[in-house]
Amino acid sequence: MTERALAAAFAAFSLFAAAPLGIGAQKAQPVVVGVSGPLTGPVAQYGLAWKKGFDLALEEINARGGIRGRPLQYVFSDTQNDPKQTVAVAQKYVADPRIVLATGDFSSTSSMAASAIYQRAGLVQFGFNNSNPAFPSGGDCCWSNSPSDANEAPAHAAFVRDLGLRKVAVFQLNTDWGKTAGDLTVAALEKDGVAVAVREAYLPDERDFRAAILKAAAAGVDGFVFVSYANDAALLVQQIRAQGIRLPIVANGANATADFPRLAGEAAEGVYVAGDFAADDPRPEVRAFVSRWKAKYPGQDIDFFSVHAYDSMKLAAAVLGAAADSKGAIGRRAVRDAFAEVKDVPSVLFGKVSFNPATRKVDSFLGARLVISGGALRAWDGRR
Amino acid sequence: MGSFLAVWLGQTVNGLILGNIYALLAAGLALIFGVAGLVNFAHGSVYMAGSYAGWVAMSLLGWPLWAALPAAAAVGALVGLGIERFAVRPFRRSPHVSSLLATIGAGMILDDLAEIVFTPNPRSFPSAVPARRFSLGLASVGVLDLVILGASAACAASLFALLRYTKAGRALRAASQDSEAAQFMGVRVSRMNAAAFALASALGAIAGVLVGLYYNFIVPSSGLQAALKGFTACVLGGLSSVPASMAGGLLLGLGESYGVAIFGASARDLVAYALLLGALFLRPNGVFGGPPEAPREALTGSFLPRGRSLKLHPAAAAAAAVAAALLPLAIGSDYLLQVLAGAWIMALFALSLSLVGGMGGVISLGQAGLMAIGAYASALLSVGARWAFLPSFLASALLAAAIGTLLATPALRLKGHYVAIATLGIGEIVDQAILNWDSLTRGALGIAGIPAPRILGLDFSSVRGFYYLGLAALALGALAFAAVGASPLGRTIRAIREDEVAAASVGIDVRRYKALTFGLSALLAGAAGSLTAYLYTYISYETFGSGLSILGIAMAILGGFGNLWGAILGALVLSGLPELLRFAAEYRSLVYGLALIAVLRFRPRGILGGE
Repeated sequence: MTERALAAAFAAFSLFAAAPLGIGAQKAQPVVVGVSGPLTGPVAQYGLAWKKGFDLALEEINARGGIRGRPLQYVFSDTQNDPKQTVAVAQKYVADPRIVLATGDFSSTSSMAASAIYQRAGLVQFGFNNSNPAFPSGGDCCWSNSPSDANEAPAHAAFVRDLGLRKVAVFQLNTDWGKTAGDLTVAALEKDGVAVAVREAYLPDERDFRAAILKAAAAGVDGFVFVSYANDAALLVQQIRAQGIRLPIVANGANATADFPRLAGEAAEGVYVAGDFAADDPRPEVRAFVSRWKAKYPGQDIDFFSVHAYDSMKLAAAVLGAAADSKGAIGRRAVRDAFAEVKDVPSVLFGKVSFNPATRKVDSFLGARLVISGGALRAWDGRR
Repeated sequence: MGSFLAVWLGQTVNGLILGNIYALLAAGLALIFGVAGLVNFAHGSVYMAGSYAGWVAMSLLGWPLWAALPAAAAVGALVGLGIERFAVRPFRRSPHVSSLLATIGAGMILDDLAEIVFTPNPRSFPSAVPARRFSLGLASVGVLDLVILGASAACAASLFALLRYTKAGRALRAASQDSEAAQFMGVRVSRMNAAAFALASALGAIAGVLVGLYYNFIVPSSGLQAALKGFTACVLGGLSSVPASMAGGLLLGLGESYGVAIFGASARDLVAYALLLGALFLRPNGVFGGPPEAPREALTGSFLPRGRSLKLHPAAAAAAAVAAALLPLAIGSDYLLQVLAGAWIMALFALSLSLVGGMGGVISLGQAGLMAIGAYASALLSVGARWAFLPSFLASALLAAAIGTLLATPALRLKGHYVAIATLGIGEIVDQAILNWDSLTRGALGIAGIPAPRILGLDFSSVRGFYYLGLAALALGALAFAAVGASPLGRTIRAIREDEVAAASVGIDVRRYKALTFGLSALLAGAAGSLTAYLYTYISYETFGSGLSILGIAMAILGGFGNLWGAILGALVLSGLPELLRFAAEYRSLVYGLALIAVLRFRPRGILGGE
């Protein structure tokens, strides 16, 4: 509640007082990241997941002295993932001299509508959730560490192949992300010798997959491949299993979230997920993250969007640290340049992460093969 | 062949379940429509509330399904009574559009309350019945499917029996057919109104629980899509009777299910709305509708209550325009100017709705589709064909007018609410065409990199640039609106709104004038869409969803339907409100909805008063 009150206070403050405060010459003045994201409306659950990840990262960053002694903070403006509001919020952030970095929004439709405003003002829009291939084309202020579909898709397809599947049905979300990832996955599957007998693109608010499932079953496939979000995947597996179909299912990384088995229950058991990381991975970044998460959010499941938000805030801190001068002052131009400079920042999703300055995206990829068992995601033991 | 039959059998079962759920929603909407003459936009939220009531009963309290269903129905009925009491009854003597807007506000309040109480995270139901399945070859039917089919069929049958054989049912039907005559016969029509809302909402809530069970998935934001499908089902079958609209629900469910089987999952809504338009083209009163409904009073026009609409003195209007033009010199905040620039574009959009609705008497529920046509035309012309801003802007507006008129032509012979729902279908079809026509529109990927607007070498991409572009386009649109309103053309349009038969009998070619009205309105909407594309520099099919159409309607009605300055004021208020209400955090939509209803309480015909 305190963060929300703080965010509200900041929002009100920046609304009424456009007076310049001077960019932190004093050590104690906080470094502020402006977050544009959904906290109400149809996709509010994702913005709330981001907050959990951000808060966890900030605790860790500030316990270690913040950015050159200055505490790192964020203000969160609720946009309901609505482009009418993201452009207004962008304008608010570029006018607020305390904000040295902006992140968000959720979908590319709402994020990219604001890109021109950030670009013109020279404030970096760190679109960590934006995998749309056109996002970085907004300009040299548009950077994204969204796991690249070009890396995820072949790993997903190889998992399908190694499970021994030869003829599959692909269910794909029909959004900019789903289309890009779906095309790449289908191409990789075919390259690996897996035939795609049925390909179904579905609308984001689709609830009923029964007709499409029956069609796939009639085509005689030996498995299902999802390029979906957890909400849809949960509906899909339940409806597949409810038809009495026991074929293997291989889902993409966005489903490596506890929401999936929670919503799908029994039907999620045995579903394979080509994820980004396994919570039981012995890497130090993962162990540190998981133990911090358990301490701060006892009893709550780890979800992909929180992990990614955590990772992104830590990456932002590394960038801001690199951009700060010897007195701790941070300029927006320096932040933009620092994105190209930071190298090998420890990351839960990527292991070590650096940007490719040419594409303003991240090339590296780790990947993890997971299976849902006992209602939780576990590392796959290599058996079918 | 066996597998083919099994698939079709499976699709039929699937379609019947979906159809039964649509039928329950459609029955409720038809009941309310019959008695209150109102398209109830809060109905989807009642359905959502019902699914959460069922979830609380089964998941938290551990009740069995047979107890949870009546409990949810009771909660639904209470919510329905609340909507009737606070969002409908106070506006009984106001034009129908006031209560329409009030139900939009009530829906927002309910959705936000659910989000606050239950969090936005989706919820799943515990399994209520044994997971046994009966095999039908490749397809199979589960116990749950049979329970849902049984429960919805039982609801439908009892509703039918209630309306047909009981005294209360007769009174309800009488109030629906002719409320004044019913009143003379001793029927308490106001009580019937409340009864219709309670009954309809109980059915909606049951549909909510059944859907929750069927998909095992509920979210607070599921209402709007359900309501839109309910309207579609209702009109597809025929608004005039409850059984006809329920049959429409079954038809829609089966049509969608077969459509997905043939064309794929992305085609679901395309099939649904194409079915709607096709059916209305062949049978303008719905597939199962009887003879045309008795002529009702116009949706927006005659017998308006007393109360003057505020007209701006020409000098005051000129002063307002000059003030708006000078504002960027006085205001240093780019944030504020950005909100205002957005408001001018939305005002142009609201004007287009006010023209076709306030002046023409047709509530267009799919206007965002026309905006999308203008936006995509501009995006393609500027990114693909490298056209300069002005020619592309003009061409986009004209193209939206042409395509909009073409699309609307089959709808022009429809009457009353049928036109409104047909326009909803047009909007959805445009949206789906954008998504599915990859080779032209780049489908789901959207179009990025729309260049900055330049006129005579001047770059208008700054916030001040867009402020003036928006203001100039709005000024032109407003002048056109005023000119049409004051001309013989405007009188003709109004004459058709007031009495189509009378207009035709004095020699007015009704359909041609309706097409012209729609085309003019599409021109304004297309211009607003073009500017939006340039402002955002990236557009996708998600940019112009059904929520935007409803927001535009809300702006036009709030300011005063048909009132030029009302549309502008409405756009300013509803564009500014979400920003002003930031302090309310998660209560933002709730306060917004309350504000809508509160304004209407004091100015039932909109802030400045409608036509």
